[in-house]
Amino acid sequence: MMFYDLFSGVKWEVRANDHYFHQSCRRKSFLCFRWGRYADNVVRSYKYTPLTFLPLNLYEQFQRVANLFFLLIVILQVCGVPIIATIPWYSTMLPLLFVLLVRGCKDLATDLVSLSFLSFSHLLCCLSQADLLLLCSTEPHSLCYVETADIDGETNLKFRQALSVTHTELNGDSVKQNLAAFDGIVWCEKPNGNLHSFKGELHWKGERHLLDTDHLLLRGTVLRNTDIAYGLAIYTGSDSKILQNCGKLKLKNTQVEMLLNKTVLILLFMITTALLLAVGAGLFEHRVSPKYDVVSVLQRDSSPAYLGFITFWGYIILLSPSMPMSLYITFEVIHMVHCLLIGWDIEMYWEDNNSPAQARTTTLNEELGQVGHLLSDKTGTLTQNRLLFRQCFIAGHIYDLSWNRFSCGGLKFSDQRLVDKLRERSSPECQEFFTALALCHTVMSEWRDGLPHYQAASPDEEALVCAARELGWVFLSRTRETLTISEMGLTRNYQLLALLDFTSKRRRMSVLVRDPGGQLKLYCKGADIVVLERLQRDWPLQESTERALELFAQGCLRTLCVAVRSVPEALWTEWSRTLSQAGTSTGNQETVLEEIYDQMEKDLTLLGVTAIEDRLQEGVPETIATLRRAGLKVWVLTGDKTETAVNVGYACKLMDPDTILIQGEELRSENTEMTKAPEWGAKFVALSDQCQSVLCCRVTPAQKAEVVEMVRKHSTSITMAIGDGANDVNMIKTAHIGVGLCGVEGSQAVQNADFALAQFRFLRRLLLVHGHWSYYRICILLRYFLYKTTAFALVHIWYSFYNGFSAQPMYESWFISLYTTLYTSLPIQCMGFFEQDVSAKSCLCWPEIYSIGQKEQLFNPLVLAITLLYSVYTSIILFFIPMGILQYSALDYQTLAVTVQTSVLLTMTVEVILHTKFWTKYSVAAVVFSLVAFFLSTLALHSTRLFTASPKDYFFLGIHVCRLIIVHVKNISPKEEMHLIKITNYLKKKKRF
Amino acid sequence: MMASSYNAKDEDGHHPGSVGSGGPGAVKSKKPDNTAFKQQRLPAWQPILTAGTVLPAFFMIGLIFIPIGIGLLVTSNNIKEFEVRAVAIATSYCVIRALCSYTAPRTKDFSNVFMYYGLSNFYQNHRRYVKSRDDSQLNGDKSSLLNPSKECEPYRTSDKKSIAPCGAIANSLFNDTLELFYIHPNGSRIAIHLVKTGIAWWTDKHVKFRNPGENNNNLSIVFQDTSKPVNWRKPVYELDPSDPDNNGFINEDFIVWMRTAALPTFRKLYRIIQKKKDNMTPTLPPGNYSLEVIYNYPVRSFDGRKRMILSTISWMGGKNPFLGIAYITVGSVCFFLGVVLLIIHHKYGNRNNNADIPN
Repeated sequence: MMFYDLFSGVKWEVRANDHYFHQSCRRKSFLCFRWGRYADNVVRSYKYTPLTFLPLNLYEQFQRVANLFFLLIVILQVCGVPIIATIPWYSTMLPLLFVLLVRGCKDLATDLVSLSFLSFSHLLCCLSQADLLLLCSTEPHSLCYVETADIDGETNLKFRQALSVTHTELNGDSVKQNLAAFDGIVWCEKPNGNLHSFKGELHWKGERHLLDTDHLLLRGTVLRNTDIAYGLAIYTGSDSKILQNCGKLKLKNTQVEMLLNKTVLILLFMITTALLLAVGAGLFEHRVSPKYDVVSVLQRDSSPAYLGFITFWGYIILLSPSMPMSLYITFEVIHMVHCLLIGWDIEMYWEDNNSPAQARTTTLNEELGQVGHLLSDKTGTLTQNRLLFRQCFIAGHIYDLSWNRFSCGGLKFSDQRLVDKLRERSSPECQEFFTALALCHTVMSEWRDGLPHYQAASPDEEALVCAARELGWVFLSRTRETLTISEMGLTRNYQLLALLDFTSKRRRMSVLVRDPGGQLKLYCKGADIVVLERLQRDWPLQESTERALELFAQGCLRTLCVAVRSVPEALWTEWSRTLSQAGTSTGNQETVLEEIYDQMEKDLTLLGVTAIEDRLQEGVPETIATLRRAGLKVWVLTGDKTETAVNVGYACKLMDPDTILIQGEELRSENTEMTKAPEWGAKFVALSDQCQSVLCCRVTPAQKAEVVEMVRKHSTSITMAIGDGANDVNMIKTAHIGVGLCGVEGSQAVQNADFALAQFRFLRRLLLVHGHWSYYRICILLRYFLYKTTAFALVHIWYSFYNGFSAQPMYESWFISLYTTLYTSLPIQCMGFFEQDVSAKSCLCWPEIYSIGQKEQLFNPLVLAITLLYSVYTSIILFFIPMGILQYSALDYQTLAVTVQTSVLLTMTVEVILHTKFWTKYSVAAVVFSLVAFFLSTLALHSTRLFTASPKDYFFLGIHVCRLIIVHVKNISPKEEMHLIKITNYLKKKKRF
Repeated sequence: MMASSYNAKDEDGHHPGSVGSGGPGAVKSKKPDNTAFKQQRLPAWQPILTAGTVLPAFFMIGLIFIPIGIGLLVTSNNIKEFEVRAVAIATSYCVIRALCSYTAPRTKDFSNVFMYYGLSNFYQNHRRYVKSRDDSQLNGDKSSLLNPSKECEPYRTSDKKSIAPCGAIANSLFNDTLELFYIHPNGSRIAIHLVKTGIAWWTDKHVKFRNPGENNNNLSIVFQDTSKPVNWRKPVYELDPSDPDNNGFINEDFIVWMRTAALPTFRKLYRIIQKKKDNMTPTLPPGNYSLEVIYNYPVRSFDGRKRMILSTISWMGGKNPFLGIAYITVGSVCFFLGVVLLIIHHKYGNRNNNADIPN
């Protein structure tokens, strides 16, 4: 067990064909207790079973404070002493049940969707259901081609290869017997969610073999071009990497929602009010009721303090409807519909890759209307990332490969000089250059119809390999150890010795090959800075190279340098030994590898420079111009050279004379500074706020995220990050809202984004139309909800001054229970779905409207306070006007209650009517439905039949509804007036601007 | 009167799914349906509030409300209401005679006159008090009669017999007797005939309140196992022995009391003085009257006051100056604001009228 100590962190043991061992470790569960280490492989992608749905779902729902609060209220009412229960238990229970039911249905529906998805994927028998260690396959060298679209969204073929030892030992005629006898032990990492790393060892027949991600078939990958693959299950069930990755998304909360959460203040207010009223009750019991034996007999010798305490709870129950319980559920439903509407928008659908817009997070809609900073990646986001090999520089000459900017990469107009040179084989530099292009890459080729089709991880590589093919250096195929290319019709096999991969930190990649002549050569391809500093000293053509690089940069071209090195045999043997040693060490393997790679990639000879053009996407300049008019600060973060970035900046109308340039070095130093002195970052953001656009060049992915973090920290505005590649994932996750473009570079960005678009120009519609509408609708909805619930509950307070603070409710109990659920929910819901303050066209025509959201004009603490004051005012009118009118008659409690509740309902409906600016048939139907529902149910609840069935619950009998309506028309009108006045004032204010 | 626009764009004739890459193995098009609903282009009426629509609305409301208010106020002022405050010093049973003069109304009033008693400072809307009743018992339920609801405590049982009607409301039934006499100029006292039925709500009298024991007219047998409320002088079946339709639970004075008041100062209908059949003489001729109160109901302990109110009614109900004043106030506020806004509009309103937003 020596290695066990060496491998700190490698603590997962899998023994092949040892059932007994695993049985003892199987994770078991009884009730909620679990023990054992290894999850079983029963597929449980769905959350609920019929048995667990109810308890599990209820448990989840009651984690919400509001729901829990109402549950406590119900418990207070049901189990609590009857003296506390001011209103019957069903009046709170009904809304709570309604909310729980709707929410539960939604959860169940979501779960059923994922369930059906699973049964679909079951049909693919080649789908791997656990993380497997590939042992052998029917393909030569036990290669195994897989598609990982379900995992990272990339559709290109990748290959996995078994260890050569298992390949040779296990393959053969009797695979199954061999496998049954296989008794290797795997030591590896504990289950984790890192999809791109795996470290472990296979101990078999007394030898240790290193394992890495190339040997692992993750759950969710699909086998392609491979008949059978045999593997050893390493992680199963919930231990598998893809499941470890699930459900750990950081929840993003919107600002509006956070402000809304502060409505817990309402709870505080409620408790204070109840407390004050309880003091009032205590005083009443102390001063008044002893003299008043009709009531004092009923209190049965309780002290005033005790009675005050009881009244306190009574008022808590009575005022509880002021907590907008159904708001959360309404909020969710409306968010969901808004997300659907984004997906349904035909103007955000892109036919070229058949992708509509997609809202992946359903909680951020209104923030789309409040974005202040847009941080954008350049490559693939502003540009098409459909690359054209425009020019190259070889041995002092610049060759135009495709001068025609409308060419689609076919290279039909290649430079005749170059073609001549290649044909005559007169220029060894040119030949070497294209050999390098054909060899130094990670492209896979797939033969279809007798032609190679290339599958590349990055479009740069594809463009370069395709260009080489057009000019006669055709990459034919690769295995793990060889590369086959055809050089001007001559097929040659290169032995692949090592592949020094590309990382965003190294910014280069190299291949070490043995050419058919037996010579060792290292071909290196990378960013100009890193390659140029690794060239032999005093390399020729230094000046012309630099001139060429500058020229390319001015033409907005992306440059890569290609270099070669002849490697002596001795160096290779020594280097490979170091490499294999490094391979066995764990811990900081990456940095160790980097150093070793560095030793090989030096003393290079420059072969040439490639210049690739990346055209701007359609509509980018217009979109950026519109967004700038809307008051957004557009930041472009790119890894490109300053010159290239500036040129792109001008091209897409980002740059004005006031655009400042921040060099990467400055930023880097500033970032390190920032950790020590935060005011630096604040100063920087303050400075950038003076300009409308900022362009950051030479930024690494990590720095991108840091910039976003900095903006988030030092400005109050909402940040939105948009990108398309894996290098933008960090940034997308850091920003308030992340948008992923379904670009050419796989869909990792989309997987991590909150919204997915096909084109940059759709951003305009997403923000200005959908964002603005969502913000408007949700703000109106919130205000209305607060208004309706608080005004409703406050009436009880005014009444308490007239009933000795005895917590006598002002409404009939059925009205209390149906008010939020039936009478007032639909019209506002309709408004949340359909309302449009300005049409889509106007939103786009006048982007300035967007600033309403950026400045939070529709929902901020001030508006909140005004809304609350307004509801206080409304509640005063709602109570005192009916009281004033009815006080002259022989006023009984029932008449007053029904009058007040009818006024409440009519007022709330009128409020919606006055706010609605977009009357669809649904809105009309909702308003009519609410009113009809109220009058019908009032009639029904006051009917003789229900009374005789249960006199206690339906004691409000025989109210003259018609007479009431007449009274209402009278006393509702003052209210309506006030609304009109308010609206007109608002209009006037608007007009004055 | 409202500026409005009708927003209904035609569908563009695109058919979902018709634009795919085509051919075998083509991916199913995800193109969204081009429907008005999904594209948020539902036909809609968009009322736009402008100065041109809102200002006339203000004036209209002002002009409609002020006359209505004036009408209501005048009507209300024409309704004769007469109030006698019985400043009762008495603490125990006695008879109080109050002399009062009732002068002739300007327009002769030939309709019914309603007689109310009023109490102030009496918390009939206190929650514990409101709950202290059993509606099933009052509805004639036999089992509730003998076993009343717990809500009635401590007026549920007395002497191990259940109380009928139980509860604090019933126990505190108003039991003064009011009588009105016309003092003829020649000095003789003529008793005014007071009608004691027809003062309760129809549904209360016929649905909500019912005597137990179906058609058994002998209420003393029906109620034999029950005890009278402790404060009462006589059992429930002796409330009005003269009229079986007004006795027991369906006694109208009782029903009126059981319909609890909303505010601590309230009035309740007591009697109706019916109009004269000939329609020629006023219901109550002008002159002096004497009110006799047989004083049973103690109110002094809680600083309560008793009143007797005589009132006629009109099309708008009883005397109610508040409604008219409210209408006049709102109407004038509207009118005033209309004027103010008109001035503002006239002075500053023409600044950006040309920037119309297209829809």
